[in-house]
Amino acid sequence: MPEQQLRLADGSGTGLRVAIIGAGMGGLSLALALRERGMAARVFEQAPELTEIGAAIALSANAIREFARLGLADDLARMSTVPTELIYRHWRDGSRIAAHPVRKDDWYVERFGAPYFGIHRADVQKILSAALGAEHLHLGCRLVNIVEQPDSVVLEFANGRVEHADLVVGADGVRSTVRRWVTGADDAVYSGTSAFRGIVPVENLPSLPDPQAIQFWMGPDAHLLHYAIGPGGEAVNFFAVVATPPIWMDEGSVVGVQEEVPVASFRGWHPAVTEMIKAASSPVRWGLFTVRPLLHWYRGRVVILGDAAHGMLPHHGQGANTTIEDAFALAALLAEAKPDDLEPAFARFQKMRRARTRKIQRSSSVTSSLLHLPDGPAVLARNEKVTRVPEEFAWIHEYDVQQALRAAGAVPAGNAVQA
Amino acid sequence: MQQDTVLAGLTEVLGDVAGVDPADVTPEARFGDDLGIDSLMLVEVVVAAEDRFGLVIADDDWSRFVTAGDVIAYLERAGTIAPAGPVRADATKN
Repeated sequence: MPEQQLRLADGSGTGLRVAIIGAGMGGLSLALALRERGMAARVFEQAPELTEIGAAIALSANAIREFARLGLADDLARMSTVPTELIYRHWRDGSRIAAHPVRKDDWYVERFGAPYFGIHRADVQKILSAALGAEHLHLGCRLVNIVEQPDSVVLEFANGRVEHADLVVGADGVRSTVRRWVTGADDAVYSGTSAFRGIVPVENLPSLPDPQAIQFWMGPDAHLLHYAIGPGGEAVNFFAVVATPPIWMDEGSVVGVQEEVPVASFRGWHPAVTEMIKAASSPVRWGLFTVRPLLHWYRGRVVILGDAAHGMLPHHGQGANTTIEDAFALAALLAEAKPDDLEPAFARFQKMRRARTRKIQRSSSVTSSLLHLPDGPAVLARNEKVTRVPEEFAWIHEYDVQQALRAAGAVPAGNAVQA
Repeated sequence: MQQDTVLAGLTEVLGDVAGVDPADVTPEARFGDDLGIDSLMLVEVVVAAEDRFGLVIADDDWSRFVTAGDVIAYLERAGTIAPAGPVRADATKN
């Protein structure tokens, strides 16, 4: 490897001290994307370890094509399941309302140029953090305060640590601490819907048709989404959403509930649905929050991305994927920024990303209502609509960050890092 | 005067974002039928209008917009004054 690339690979390309808050999809992706552009970053994460048990995500082509360029697609594929089909079903009788190929006939990868993966969230974090290197990751650091100084930012953490940075990126999720500093308010909005989640071994789901598919079971005021995850599709990750409670009273996003509450919320549904919910162990309700549209994603030397900037309902499976898009876009624009004048880069970033993420955020909210219709006339139109999903929402999956950068007048990534 | 200024700003946004001919932008013009703007393109128009006029238009509000006049009325109600010219003054068109 030529010496110049070695120097770039160790991230010393610019003198800018970059601090990323949050080692989720956005923070880890950004650190890797910055390295691809020759910039170093430190990632601060409040959790003591990167192992969120019982959480999974779906990665789609718009995100995977970025990881593929970094040479990470094979590692991700090894830990993932590609769904056979995308199927919509009736909540009670289980009839197939619509079905679309995904792995079948290689439809998805042929259409969108990259695969679709169901995977444990912690496995993605493991792969990304291993690629990044543990020395760039600072665990157990919960941000409690940001102090702006004339030429830097001071970050204060709950463990007493104090760090100085020239540039801070808040990748700290829908209840972002950094966003509070940027906007001066808590802009998270409860959606009126909440979810029960779980991961269940396939062998415990004898009633489930098509366990390797990604499936929506749609019913009155509720729906259940599930897809298989892991190297052999040995487990099913589910997300059971109910249009209640109307108001979220708790400070946090997660509350314990009586053990019978999750399954009681789906009384009368198909046995495959109730069996799945019953098989999950933790009776916990997750409030589903979005972030109200913001005019500015930055203030001074601080910028936010991902759920912190545009938290959305998960019904297009795009929270993580748009966050990853953000990370690669921001890295490209920061690489072109003047270290002593960051705001133009931040402004370019939000100009490039605000409309796309707003569209998906809005569409996810509309989808939420469509998934929760009671049996009746409106269902017929909805059922017709879901037969057109792959083409209607192709624009989400075909998006290419590097093409969008080029269109915005920025330099797209080459593949120098893999050389 | 104010309405004219808002109309001028919106006309500029529609031209930049959606390639709409300025001559077609009247308060009566419907986004779908007259200007060829579908619901996805309308989000781009809304976001660009937000940047132009410096305010957020809530989803519940813009999703009811049918005509350009609806947007103008909304912006006026929101207390928008004449938009700041310099924001877009140096913008280059493709």
